[in-house]
Amino acid sequence: MARTNRSSLIAILVIIGGLIAVAFVNSNSLGNFGITLLSGLFQGMLLFLVASGLSIVFGLMDVLNFAQGAYFMVGAYVAYDAQHAGGLIDLTQAIPDPNLRFPVAVILAVIVGALLGVILERGLLRPLYARPVFQLVLTFGVALVMAEIIKFIWTTTPYSWTEVFGVRESFFELFGQRFSTYRLFVVGMGIVLIILIALLLRRSRIGIIIRAGVEDREMVQSLGINVQTVFTLVFTLGCAIAALGGAVAAPFLGASTTIGDIFLLQAIAVVVLGGMGSYEGTAIGSVMVGLAVAVAQDAAIGTSFAALPSITPMLLLILVLLLRPSGLFGNAR
Amino acid sequence: MAVTPRKTGWLQGNGWLLVLLALLILFPFIVGALTDSSPYGVARGDRMIMRGESVRWQSVLIEVYILAILTMSYNLLFGFTGVISFGHALFFGTASYLFGLALEFTEMDTGLAIVVGAVAAIVVCGLLGLLIGLVTLRLKGVYFAIFTLAVAEMFFIFLGRWQLTRAEDGFAITDLPAWLDPTQSRLSFYYLALVLAVLTFLFIRRLVNSPTGAVFQAIRENEDRAQSLGYNTLNYKLFSIVIAGMLAGVAGLLQVMLNKKVGPELLSVGYTVDPLLMTIIGGVGTLGGPIIGAAGLHLLDVFFRDRELVLGSMTIDIANIWALLLGVIFILAVIVFPYGVIGTWRRWQARALRKR
Amino acid sequence: MTDSILEVRDIHTFIGQFHILEGVSVSVPVGSITVLLGRNGAGKTTTLRSIMGLTPPARGQILFDGKNIAGKHPHAIAQLGIGYVPEHRAIFRELTVHENLRIAERKRGDLARKADFIFELFPDLKRLIDLPGGNLSGGQQQMLAVARALVPDNRLLLIDEPSEGLAPVIIEQLMAAISRLAESSSVLLVEQNFRVASRLAQQYVIIEEGQSPAAGKIDALVQDAALVQRYLGVA
Repeated sequence: MARTNRSSLIAILVIIGGLIAVAFVNSNSLGNFGITLLSGLFQGMLLFLVASGLSIVFGLMDVLNFAQGAYFMVGAYVAYDAQHAGGLIDLTQAIPDPNLRFPVAVILAVIVGALLGVILERGLLRPLYARPVFQLVLTFGVALVMAEIIKFIWTTTPYSWTEVFGVRESFFELFGQRFSTYRLFVVGMGIVLIILIALLLRRSRIGIIIRAGVEDREMVQSLGINVQTVFTLVFTLGCAIAALGGAVAAPFLGASTTIGDIFLLQAIAVVVLGGMGSYEGTAIGSVMVGLAVAVAQDAAIGTSFAALPSITPMLLLILVLLLRPSGLFGNAR
Repeated sequence: MAVTPRKTGWLQGNGWLLVLLALLILFPFIVGALTDSSPYGVARGDRMIMRGESVRWQSVLIEVYILAILTMSYNLLFGFTGVISFGHALFFGTASYLFGLALEFTEMDTGLAIVVGAVAAIVVCGLLGLLIGLVTLRLKGVYFAIFTLAVAEMFFIFLGRWQLTRAEDGFAITDLPAWLDPTQSRLSFYYLALVLAVLTFLFIRRLVNSPTGAVFQAIRENEDRAQSLGYNTLNYKLFSIVIAGMLAGVAGLLQVMLNKKVGPELLSVGYTVDPLLMTIIGGVGTLGGPIIGAAGLHLLDVFFRDRELVLGSMTIDIANIWALLLGVIFILAVIVFPYGVIGTWRRWQARALRKR
Repeated sequence: MTDSILEVRDIHTFIGQFHILEGVSVSVPVGSITVLLGRNGAGKTTTLRSIMGLTPPARGQILFDGKNIAGKHPHAIAQLGIGYVPEHRAIFRELTVHENLRIAERKRGDLARKADFIFELFPDLKRLIDLPGGNLSGGQQQMLAVARALVPDNRLLLIDEPSEGLAPVIIEQLMAAISRLAESSSVLLVEQNFRVASRLAQQYVIIEEGQSPAAGKIDALVQDAALVQRYLGVA
């Protein structure tokens, strides 16, 4: 036990150290290096928002929710739509101040994500707990339907952000390079969430139940705890956090119908890398994959290998499954 | 691999199958007679132009045969062995790219390129299945699903950007001999696709009824128990995925020849969803299910494609919401109709028998 | 009849397509210890799991306090006041001893109320309170598993093979604890070790091939060497 933890720690340090070293060598100035690091952390925090739900739900319920990426996408579209004029849920009239509209739209996206999460768990997954194979197939189908509904409502044309608001536009300067404050804001928010969820899991009664349920669901029930209710809660929370991810990503990445799949695949890489069901693993894995993608983006500039950043998470996933299928902290069998 | 002895003769046991086969063989001529069009197309000078109802319906059925082969291969893996793949398009698309590369990007003459391309495509599909299986099949089932999805997506992204094969646009196949070219002789290609679909069906039926097939199904029901009975379940699962990969490759080859075009869309998630959905609708783990699923859904698709849905004042092109409808059918099927057409039919029969 | 807290009547339980219990009946009188005896694979654990609702019986009745609980969810059954200590010390290895006890609270304050009693029975646990369950020795884990069932007010405890694989000294300590428990609640015990079982229990039920062919006072069983030989293969 202690030995696996130590070797995991060494592996983590080596990989993160390696990524940072590559980023450093590749960048010709401290400023560029900083940009790569910040964009890696930004990407990593967004990934964490998708991957944390994926991992905890899998650990607790044995369901890998292939629709998790679709919740991210829904969050992005709802947040975009609410903050721009002429959409379905146009808040531009109701809340003229864009700086106020932003948090309201984010909260709206989270609520929509949570509602859709309850519907999926209560309405569709619950009848299938006796048939786990079909649960997997079902979440895959739900992902498709959600993507199709989005295409139906908002068409397939990607939206890029046009609305101007404070945090998004401001910059700060370091080493003669301009850094986006918004990215820093998302990174900060991600770190706060990582800590909050960790506290929830460590300190609260519900957190203890979740951790116990990951280990032995049956025993938790035998103690008089209604596991179904816990499932619904955790699943809903996972979907809501994914939608939050989409909502805060939208001002930077816009909203498009491919964004869900991209984040789902990267989040799966994170979860496998960190070890299915391990919260610490998910947090560390997110940072690793985020950094790896940023480094790959940097490396691909000016070369003909434009697909490198998109392929990087999949390459990582394949490498992890080849070398250490249980991930950094976890059990694959 | 002995065929299980049956009390009835082979002909009697396969009666309805032979009738269906005869109908499919005669199909181009029947449609031709009904619509007064030639199954060979329309002659213009010394060339045949592929025009007319018979020729049009031939290509619809060719698509059904291709989807049926793909779905049967998927069902072997999912329905009979209990292994879920979310990247079956990987085999379909890989085979089509290899075949296209052999034909268009090598100096071999056409006949040799076709043979080399087809053999290489199918062998590589088998190897790909073997590799993916070796990496993930020792782990929980979900890892195989993840891994196939990731590899398929990776190839999809890569091929969408690969300049040699014209990235997203893909490239056309120009070099098919006349007898194999559906734009010159649709009818001979129709029979080729039919023969391959029938062979696939017979092969899978034989495999499933063999002792090996019995172990596949034992693994699907309870892998631990199959293992405790002394079977090396990993080897059986590997065998299943290799065969399924190769058969999906065959379907990919036919698709390339039919459309005479290779592009990254052949690796898109659609070619994973189609066989999955068709398997579930037709009947998971049944022999006829994939064929019913493939035929049913594809014919519905063709039928509804250019129609409109009028909802009060709104008019919606069905083509625009077809994928959405499929998805909804998919979810409903998983929840309320999990045994598919054939499975549900058998349950009704069994209930009726019990009541008597 | 009315003095039985638990009355299992002719239950049949299937696992997959296997018919594991083919008519088991067990009666647990209030305030005493009843032991299920029988060979490995006879169906003792499945009997406890069926009572708990983890493998619900397809047929038969399970009366707790005169009310049928067969078919209820495990959590609902537990909330009626039934504590379950499964075999192989099923504690949560990643949770600390304190968290293992805290998760068993059914009402706020259960643990605070029972802490003195629990630490009096198992003084070791007090010392280990902040260690993860996985770091405990086998005997300590078993004590924790029993202690966990004591946190809420349970009127019936189902304890599966508590002595399995433990050193004699530890078994003595556990046995002493279990006899003290029986003062406040009734116990249904599965125990392979006949010597231990005969000292602890007042009643026995033999489980054999998914049925319950014999039951009675344990004193009578101890006298009847032939019966012991027949069902348990020990003299």
